[in-house]
Amino acid sequence: MRKDARVEDLLRELAPRVLGALVRRHGNFDDCEDAVQEALLAAAVQWPAQGVPQNPQGWLITVASRRMTDQIRSEVARRRREDETAAQVPDEESVAPAADDEPASGEDDTLTLLFMCCHPALSAASQVALTLRAVGGLTTAEIARAFLVPEATMAQRVSRAKRSIKSSGIPFRMPPENERADRLRVVLHVLYLIFNEGYTASSGPDLQRGELTAEAIRLTRAVHGLLPDDGEVAGLLSLMLLTDARRPARTRPDGALIPLAEQDRQRWDQDSIREGVELITDTLSRSPIGPYQLQAAIAAVHDEAERAEETDWPQIEALYEVLERVSDNPMVTLNRAVAVAMVQGPQAGLDLLETLDADGRLAEHHRLEAVRAHLLEMTGDYAAARSGYRTAARLTTSLPEQRYLEARAARLGEDR
Amino acid sequence: MKYMLLIYDNPDTREIMSGERGEGLMAEMRDLMEEITESGELVGTEALADPSNARTVRERDGVPAVTDGPYAEAKEHLGGYLVVDCESLERATEIAARFPNARFSEMGAMEVRPIMGQNGTEM
Repeated sequence: MRKDARVEDLLRELAPRVLGALVRRHGNFDDCEDAVQEALLAAAVQWPAQGVPQNPQGWLITVASRRMTDQIRSEVARRRREDETAAQVPDEESVAPAADDEPASGEDDTLTLLFMCCHPALSAASQVALTLRAVGGLTTAEIARAFLVPEATMAQRVSRAKRSIKSSGIPFRMPPENERADRLRVVLHVLYLIFNEGYTASSGPDLQRGELTAEAIRLTRAVHGLLPDDGEVAGLLSLMLLTDARRPARTRPDGALIPLAEQDRQRWDQDSIREGVELITDTLSRSPIGPYQLQAAIAAVHDEAERAEETDWPQIEALYEVLERVSDNPMVTLNRAVAVAMVQGPQAGLDLLETLDADGRLAEHHRLEAVRAHLLEMTGDYAAARSGYRTAARLTTSLPEQRYLEARAARLGEDR
Repeated sequence: MKYMLLIYDNPDTREIMSGERGEGLMAEMRDLMEEITESGELVGTEALADPSNARTVRERDGVPAVTDGPYAEAKEHLGGYLVVDCESLERATEIAARFPNARFSEMGAMEVRPIMGQNGTEM
């Protein structure tokens, strides 16, 4: 069904515009979303065989509207049977309008829909599911496969999200100016979650999950197109491009993880790197700085080193220091400790980890123990490093990470 | 994040659940199951047959040796499980805490275990 890539791309692009047009006309997001999904499915079946209609957006709006009208009609008929007095339904509600009587505001609709799907009243899982379906045009089955849950579970998340939107009376329009910045942060976080879910999946049988990164990049690119002056949107897009560029090199064919320092940099995607570097360079020169921009800048420094030994660690250390100031996150400190170790030596990094031990938020976190083991290995204290890797392997809930950490520990045990 | 909630029963648990007191508890369980189904958190759940139906298999001297009964010789036994996909360990614990097994010491206990995932970050 999804074989024709051109049709698929077109449908994904049109999905939020069609939904936007329908919601503005009928007002009922929940039913409109179902109707659009049905129209997209019909198009995915018909267009590859019969050709794409001249006005694909109009075609989708017409088909979806017809579904809405059918629904309203059968609802009216039901009510009529139940209640004789319910016969007074305005005519325009039961007649499908012509396809092209909507102003062409499809692009703004994409953004309005994103804000709606990422409403703070929804759980993160619901925000992700609804965004992929309503804005991304993916089916519930596709989203369920990507997140490794049964389709019924994902369907519940989607319908719960739609019910929440209905019950909290969230209107289909842009949030007020004074809320927009905060709401945009939520949108970016949801896009980041989608990207990360795809990026951190191991290769092989999970390739389908990798499509999530492409979808996250596509959606973020769309937001960047609509808000080209927002530095954090550009920063997130750049971060995604610079991170995704390393994907071909980050795992072995069997799914085993390869650390950054040991990756075959020939396999990094140079086009993505070029685009990401240009984007972040341009953005940093004209926008107020933010966490996504800083993370993109760090990724750019890594990506620009042709060999691991050429990495500009002093610059990375400086960038982490700024990032630490703008975001209170112990993970940032943990990453800074690696940079500090590379610049000032492993003991300085280990000293910094002690502040994290005192902080407590990363207590029992496998990454803290993994970094500690790595720095201990750099100092030559192999026994302590080995036991650190083993502790980290016990704490992680990721199979590829566990394999990697066990292998590090075993390597120290055998060679020295 | 996915968690498995292991339901540990006591020898008395089933008797309590099928008695008068069990009716209210069963209704509460149904409410809970409905809630986590509706929220999109429930991934799957199964109840296990009584441990008297269990067989334990161990290879001994190259030959599979089969014995009747469960592997762990404890008073409590695994009565069933749920897999939930939820926001945090705290939420998974909250769900577990609502099972009668967790609430009443004479009915066993619940165990919450994170499920290993295939996602990972290079270090």
